[in-house]
Amino acid sequence: MTSLINVSNLTKQYGEKAAVDNVNLSVKAGQILGLVGPNGAGKTTCLQALLGLTDYQGEVDILGYNPKTQRTAMLNDVAYIADVAVLPKWMKVSQALEYMAGVHPNFNQSKAEEFLAKTNISQKSQIKQLSKGMIVQVHLALILAIDAKVLILDEPTLGLDILTRRQFYSHLLEDFYTQEKCIIVTTHQIEEIEHILTDVAFIQSGSIVLCEDTEHIKERFKLVAVNQESIEQAKELKPIFSNSLMGLTTMLFDGVEQESLSSLGNITSPTLADIFVGVMTKEAC
Amino acid sequence: MSEQWNKDTPIYLQLYQQVVSRILDGYIKEGEALPSVRNVAAQYQLNPITISKAYQMLQDEEIVEKQRGKGLFVKPGMQDLMLSRERETFLTKQWPSILSQINRLKLSANDLLTNQGENS
Repeated sequence: MTSLINVSNLTKQYGEKAAVDNVNLSVKAGQILGLVGPNGAGKTTCLQALLGLTDYQGEVDILGYNPKTQRTAMLNDVAYIADVAVLPKWMKVSQALEYMAGVHPNFNQSKAEEFLAKTNISQKSQIKQLSKGMIVQVHLALILAIDAKVLILDEPTLGLDILTRRQFYSHLLEDFYTQEKCIIVTTHQIEEIEHILTDVAFIQSGSIVLCEDTEHIKERFKLVAVNQESIEQAKELKPIFSNSLMGLTTMLFDGVEQESLSSLGNITSPTLADIFVGVMTKEAC
Repeated sequence: MSEQWNKDTPIYLQLYQQVVSRILDGYIKEGEALPSVRNVAAQYQLNPITISKAYQMLQDEEIVEKQRGKGLFVKPGMQDLMLSRERETFLTKQWPSILSQINRLKLSANDLLTNQGENS
C-alpha cells in the first residue's frame, strides 16, 4: 500500500501552548483513519495544518504536495468537510455546483447532479432553506464529484440525527470509498463508526497517544472482570484503567499475554470507546 | 440495517460464518451472486477491508467464484457441501460437550425427546 499522507514532527504553537505537539502520522491508500480525542486535543488544528489552512512547524506531505506551498495543486485531489457549514447561505444548490465547476478542474458536475437526484434536495433550493442533514448531503455531492484521493472530514455528522448520520456513512462507503483512496475522520460518536475505521489514532493534549489498526487493537487491549481474590495479582500486571462497581472490578490491560489474564477472571474484548476512555483517563490504580 | 457483532470474534469471521449459514439455509442460492463489498459496507456500516477479507476466505475455500466484472457467485453443490461441513463441525466440536452434559445430568433419550416436544 502506498502512503498518501505523511506527517512528521508536526507542531503548532499558539503562544506558549502547543496545540499540536510533535505529531507523526502516515495514512496509506485504503485506510479510513479515525482521529479521536477530547475537545481541545488538537484534532482540528492538526487537520487544518494538513490542509494548509494554518502555519506549522514540521513536515507534511500529502500526495507528494506540501500544503503550505502547493496548496492549490494539492486541492485538486484533496477534499474537506468542516464541522462548520461553509456553504454560502444565499446560494442556490445549482449555483454551488456551477461555482465548483468553474473553480475546480476535477469537478464533474453531472456526478454531483446524479447524487443529488437520489436525495430529496431540489437544486433550486437555497442553502439557507435546507436542513443540516441536507447541507451535509450537498457537501457530499460536491466531494463525490471531485473524486478526491484524500478526504478529510472534521466532525462531519455533528448535530445530525442518527438516521442522517448513518446515511452519511453509507453514502461515503458506497459512493466514495475505494481502496486507492484514504479518509481521515474526526468524531465524538466513536461507537457508531468503530467498524468503519481501519485505523484509529487517539490524540490528547496535542500528542498522538495511540495509533493502531482496528484489528490489532482488539488483540492488544483486553477487558477483564477480575475475581475478588485476584485483584492484588491483577494490579501487578499494571492495568491502564480500573473500575469497581457493586463488588465487580473491571480492568483494562494493554499488551498483557492472554495466558496471564485468563486466571484473573473473565476476559472480553473492549470496544474502541472503552479503550479510548481507558487511555485518556489512565489512572494510577 | 446494522448487525449486532460479537465483540470477541473478528467481524470478518462472523461475516464469513453468516454467508455459510445463509447458503446452508437456502437464503443465498447456488448460482446466486453475493452482494457487492460496497453494498455490504454501506448496509452494515463496516469498512470494506473487513468484507473483502470474509469474501476472500469464501473464495479461497472455493465456496464462491469470481466472475470477471460481475462479482462473486455461489458455486453449484455448495448447499450440500455446507450441510455436510456443518454436520461434521457439530459432531466433532459441539456434540461431545453436549453429550457429556447429558451424561452428567443422567438424562435418558426418552427425557430428551419428551422435553423437546413440550418446548417447541
